[in-house]
Amino acid sequence: MGVSIGGPAALAAAALAAAAAACHEGSAGSAVAPPPDSVALVATVPVPPNYGQHDQIERAGLAFLCSWNTGLQIYDVGDGRAGGSPQHPVRISGVVTSGGEVHNAWWYWAPDGTRRYAFVGQEGPGSVGTSSSGDIHVVDLSNLSAPAEVASFHMNGAGTHNFWVDEANQVLYAAYYNGGVVALDVSGTLSGDLGTRLISAVQPGGAGDTYVWGVMLYNGSVYASDMVSGLWQLKLTGGALQVAGGGNNVPERYTSDLWVANGYAYTGTWGTRGANTGNVLKIWKLDSAGAPVLHDSIVTPGFTTVSDVRGSADGRMLVTSGEYGPKAGLYFYSLVPDPGHPVLLRYYPVVANAQNGIHNVSLADIGGRRYALAAQDPPTPAMLVVDVTAIDP
Amino acid sequence: MRQRGHGRTGARGAGAPGRRALRRAAAPALAAIALAAGPPRAGAQLALGIQGIGVVTRADAPGGAVVTEARLIEPVAYGSMAWLGGRLAVHAMLDGEGWTMRGGALAPGDWGEGYYDRRHPHTLVHEVIATATDLAALPGAVHWSLAAGKGFAPFGTDDPMNRPALLFPVDHHWSQILERAVAVLGVRRGPVVVEVGTFDGDEPERWDEWPKWSRFGDSWSARGLVRPGDGLELQASLARVKSPEDRAGAGPTSDKVNVSARLERPVGSGAFYALAEWASNSEGVWVFHAVLVESEYRRGRWRPYARVEVADRPEDQRVFGDPFRSPRPPADNSLLGVTRWRTILAGLGIGLPEAVHGLRAEAIGEVAWAGVASREGVFDPAAFYGRTQLWTVNLGLRLAAGAGMHRMGRYGVAGGPMPGMAGGAGMSGMRGE
Repeated sequence: MGVSIGGPAALAAAALAAAAAACHEGSAGSAVAPPPDSVALVATVPVPPNYGQHDQIERAGLAFLCSWNTGLQIYDVGDGRAGGSPQHPVRISGVVTSGGEVHNAWWYWAPDGTRRYAFVGQEGPGSVGTSSSGDIHVVDLSNLSAPAEVASFHMNGAGTHNFWVDEANQVLYAAYYNGGVVALDVSGTLSGDLGTRLISAVQPGGAGDTYVWGVMLYNGSVYASDMVSGLWQLKLTGGALQVAGGGNNVPERYTSDLWVANGYAYTGTWGTRGANTGNVLKIWKLDSAGAPVLHDSIVTPGFTTVSDVRGSADGRMLVTSGEYGPKAGLYFYSLVPDPGHPVLLRYYPVVANAQNGIHNVSLADIGGRRYALAAQDPPTPAMLVVDVTAIDP
Repeated sequence: MRQRGHGRTGARGAGAPGRRALRRAAAPALAAIALAAGPPRAGAQLALGIQGIGVVTRADAPGGAVVTEARLIEPVAYGSMAWLGGRLAVHAMLDGEGWTMRGGALAPGDWGEGYYDRRHPHTLVHEVIATATDLAALPGAVHWSLAAGKGFAPFGTDDPMNRPALLFPVDHHWSQILERAVAVLGVRRGPVVVEVGTFDGDEPERWDEWPKWSRFGDSWSARGLVRPGDGLELQASLARVKSPEDRAGAGPTSDKVNVSARLERPVGSGAFYALAEWASNSEGVWVFHAVLVESEYRRGRWRPYARVEVADRPEDQRVFGDPFRSPRPPADNSLLGVTRWRTILAGLGIGLPEAVHGLRAEAIGEVAWAGVASREGVFDPAAFYGRTQLWTVNLGLRLAAGAGMHRMGRYGVAGGPMPGMAGGAGMSGMRGE
């Protein structure tokens, strides 16, 4: 039951099959045959099978691996301080934050350059739609070789999920599942209990109809993907998070992650709701006020969850991760020339069995090349580094 | 066990398919029995037996389907060996369900080890436990025992294989902790027994798997028993089980409680059995509960029985294309929700009046109704099953030979007499033998 990350022929066949299978529910969009070049796996960083690898971010040549009970691990993937590169990641250090269950992170740079923290999301037990647990942990990274937890934030009755940080204004936005969306003041020195740093919290769908997966700041609005009530537009106004638009717009499926770029939002879907499988990428056009309006959608048979949606820094590429099914893996899309109708560039299969795939993915530009950093699920958890420069649109 | 044995010693073991695999995986268990048996000599007592149950099941299934299938369930070979008057003993059981019910046996409501609405196969070496009892005398009429091997942690009630129904109860994973590497210390004084045990928290992921030895000692349990007489047994247990569902140890810890009252005594010209239990399993934000009452009356060839249960069940994501399986190992701690199952089961066993060539047979029929509702989360039973009430019909034929099955999980001072032994202190007996 080895992991199959196919060779060129398998890749080509799989990409052709996936391209043929992908179809648009909404307005016309077309998949294209893959280019004749290759997407190359350049490194595999094994992670202990301790629920393994959940997410990773890259910034300035450093990768922060969120490795559940193994903790937050910092790798040089091009920074050079430890001789690392995308082809040869080198571990610098790590820290197991209180309670482990390290799911996601954000490396925060204070605008005045005086402080650098990692915000770490702990994903504790929860029932989708009703309950969750897990705190935000703050790790001081002033010495990358000796990261140390210095602060945390706890919300009674809810647990955190994905983050976005408005670094200029020093505000951390955290998805908080049934707790909705939380805005925290992260200015200055962070230590101890951050309960007093709470700026505002909102349950966009209201109690019983809120389970927020992810948040992203874009053009002054905070977009929140809610598993049960869809895509919302929020604004932090006068110290209060308020609903500005959207919401209750995905009744047939559970919503997962989101990305916003080029005047469009992209959301994934999760699991099975009724008879509908979470194998859809939805494309939303933002109206003049920033409210999302469903514009298109792409259905890809062969897996049950679009577990992550990420865009490139230049807004030209989108990647989604497929989980649970024979077509699990990475799906790369071009957002040019029309970001409202993404075009499939390449399917990269990562399937060990019908039970797993890729849990999270991000795109990183390092040394003039573009890489996808992907969290491969158990039973063989790892961070995969895939060079996708060749298909960069 | 439900079979009608006579508890005689010296029955033969069973042949089985896949002999090489069987020999490889079961070698320690067989070696233990062989060592214990040696050439039988004065003072040594041996009880061996086999059984299997052919079952045709027709049941409501996910998606509005109705499924009919046949399986051979509980194909087991077991043995107990005692010597020094029962002060040293070995129990062992081999279970061939990994071969005979691959993919599990249709069983609405059952769950665990990556299966849903199908009972998972047990591991090949279901139990192999060595027990020493009263090797050194203690003052004050205090008796003690030490048991170690692969088997049951001292927690909760009897394994469903030792109980009346074919369909396992929903609360199986709340009320028993089995197939672990365990060490159990028991102390008995008069009618009171106290057991403490340590073991590995991981439950099996596959039928051919051994416990993860490196996790031995990461979990514990304790059980108190009071047997005031007339066949009454009162029981209370506590356990802390680390990450039962993730073998690597990343999952949440289960804090478990089980209390029960069990009665087994002659009534009229038959034998009456009843069990009532309450169980709780806490895992952080989740607390699962179960209440179960079951009873059986055995008279002559006839064995009517019934069970009523209300139990919570965690709902995981199912794997792609298979509504009966969930991902193993899991990728996180999320549930789709928690459902509450209300079940009513009634059954009847009819035994052949005489054993034929040492082979005993019992025809079994049972019907179960289950009503399922969402307790929390987004799992919608009506959408998933296409209904909220599910029926199960089992028609089975049990064949058995040799000794009756011992009462699994009751080692040393917590056990009853060995099958075929009169009043032995060190080995457990089989209900109804």
